[in-house]
Amino acid sequence: MPSYHDIQQFLFFEARLMDEHRYDDWLALWAEQAHYFIPAGDDERGINYSIALVNEERPGIEDRIKRLKGGAHYAQDPKSQMSRVVSNVEILEENEGELLVTSTFNLTAYRKSVLDVIAGRTTHRLKLNGAEFRIAAKKVQLATSRGVMTNLTFLV
Amino acid sequence: MNYDMNRDSNPAAIDYGKLVLEDRVHSRIYTDPAIFDEEMDRIFHRGWVYVGHESEIPNRGDFQARNIGRQPVIFIRGDDDEVRVLMNRCTHRAAVVCPHESGNAKRFVCPYHGWAFLNTGGLLGVPHSERYDDGFDKKDYGLRPAPRQAAYRGLMFASLAADGPSLDEHLGPLAKAEIDIAFDLSPAGKIDVSCGTHKYGYAGNWKLQAENSTDGYHLGFLHRSFVEISLQRAGVTTAPDYGANAPYRLRSLGNAHVAWDMSSPAATRWLTGGAAKVPAAQQEYIDSLVAAHGEERAHKMLARGGPHVLIFPNLVFIQTHIRMIRPVAVDRTEVFLYPYRLTDVSDKINGHRFRGHQAFYGPAGGGATDDLEVFERITEGLRATVDPWILIRRGLGQEQIESDGAVTGQFTDELNNRAILHYWRSVMSGEKILGSTRETAI
Repeated sequence: MPSYHDIQQFLFFEARLMDEHRYDDWLALWAEQAHYFIPAGDDERGINYSIALVNEERPGIEDRIKRLKGGAHYAQDPKSQMSRVVSNVEILEENEGELLVTSTFNLTAYRKSVLDVIAGRTTHRLKLNGAEFRIAAKKVQLATSRGVMTNLTFLV
Repeated sequence: MNYDMNRDSNPAAIDYGKLVLEDRVHSRIYTDPAIFDEEMDRIFHRGWVYVGHESEIPNRGDFQARNIGRQPVIFIRGDDDEVRVLMNRCTHRAAVVCPHESGNAKRFVCPYHGWAFLNTGGLLGVPHSERYDDGFDKKDYGLRPAPRQAAYRGLMFASLAADGPSLDEHLGPLAKAEIDIAFDLSPAGKIDVSCGTHKYGYAGNWKLQAENSTDGYHLGFLHRSFVEISLQRAGVTTAPDYGANAPYRLRSLGNAHVAWDMSSPAATRWLTGGAAKVPAAQQEYIDSLVAAHGEERAHKMLARGGPHVLIFPNLVFIQTHIRMIRPVAVDRTEVFLYPYRLTDVSDKINGHRFRGHQAFYGPAGGGATDDLEVFERITEGLRATVDPWILIRRGLGQEQIESDGAVTGQFTDELNNRAILHYWRSVMSGEKILGSTRETAI
């Protein structure tokens, strides 16, 4: 099984790809069967009863990347400049070829004179693909999910 | 009407007739803080403003903290099952008594001196009340209700003015018919608005969002990449026509309410079985609507693809959600989207609606975020005043009057902007008064 160090390295690598807008490289981290979920407020009533900020499977994630790469997603023109710290990594579950890992992040995003600070907890379900990880599911619970936000069009 | 006397005695009174012309408007209407203050008074603090839908507070004691213009209110269902709009202000020393966004409460206790109010608004108790004089009576100090409250299909509106046109007059039959579509797309004629909220804000004036909500012209440009990528995903190869030849219409419904009607012959053919096979879940849904509302109305509503209407000033229905516009300052606006479920419709259909909504809307969506970006670019561009005018002339003079009385224009016309801003001019200039208070202005 991978070591704690390997898991950390993967999360740090993913964070760097997101910070640097490396869209294709980030997409390549995802498994074919994937779920990307950012609740809006709480999600107690389930996905058909509670609206989310992001609730996408692989095709939705691919479309998101296509929009970002297409040059006509004006909310990222110019792009946000970002730096995020990923920390507090805990392994919640460890099974054959699969891990559930939670971590926190603190993201500073700067765009057109506006400085945004976004923080939250990310929970990854990672699958081992040979020696590499693939993201099977990712849930991001934002500390500000109940608040008014303007631009969350970069990758978190 | 004392407030008018005060205003008219002001030598610096703003001449709205010079700021809003037939074919253009002046930048100042989006940038001048004095105009914003006057909008709060004349539009938001006197006219009918949308507060919330009753399904957001289904149980006794349920509440949502809301705003009417700049004023904080509590939208609440009391223990007597009545739905009310109460001013969120302790009648003693003015602190808000409800600091929570939503929840359930038997009573609100002001933390400052312990005055306690029932969820029906009444004042329950005042600590050490013996030190008040004999003229003090608890029953005079309940939470103040919004002076006028009225609902249409569970949509609660309130006005902070005691007198004025009724909600019925404000909405009018054409706007009501648009609202009806939102509800009657459920076979039960009901919607559930307690499904969470998308909240976004932008650095710009509130009218930018009001106008944009029925702006057909931008769809094929600003949202082109979203539309193209979504159609690719759906396997649709023919691009839709959102241009000047598109068969869609904008409809001005009176009192600055504006709808867009995207009914199309193609949609109708598909619904009536003229094209490819309809998926089972969709067919089941269509059948339930036909059974509930009759074939003609069901097909007509479905061909529209859902409601799409601005109810001036702060309520919008767009297909999957209710939108509430909250002006914060002349250059700051917050917008709350409430996606809703259609009652007695399958999870498959409702889930599909939610997924479509999520992809486009909200701060992480691929569509609405581009609108916000444009609002902020407009706010920046408005500072360039060598030529301070903004055009609203597209399709001017080519309007048609439909048999139901709606004034309509082609989908890409600036009919929406004219309908909103010309009405706005009549209210701001005092030609049309949305409400009056009986109190003396101080």
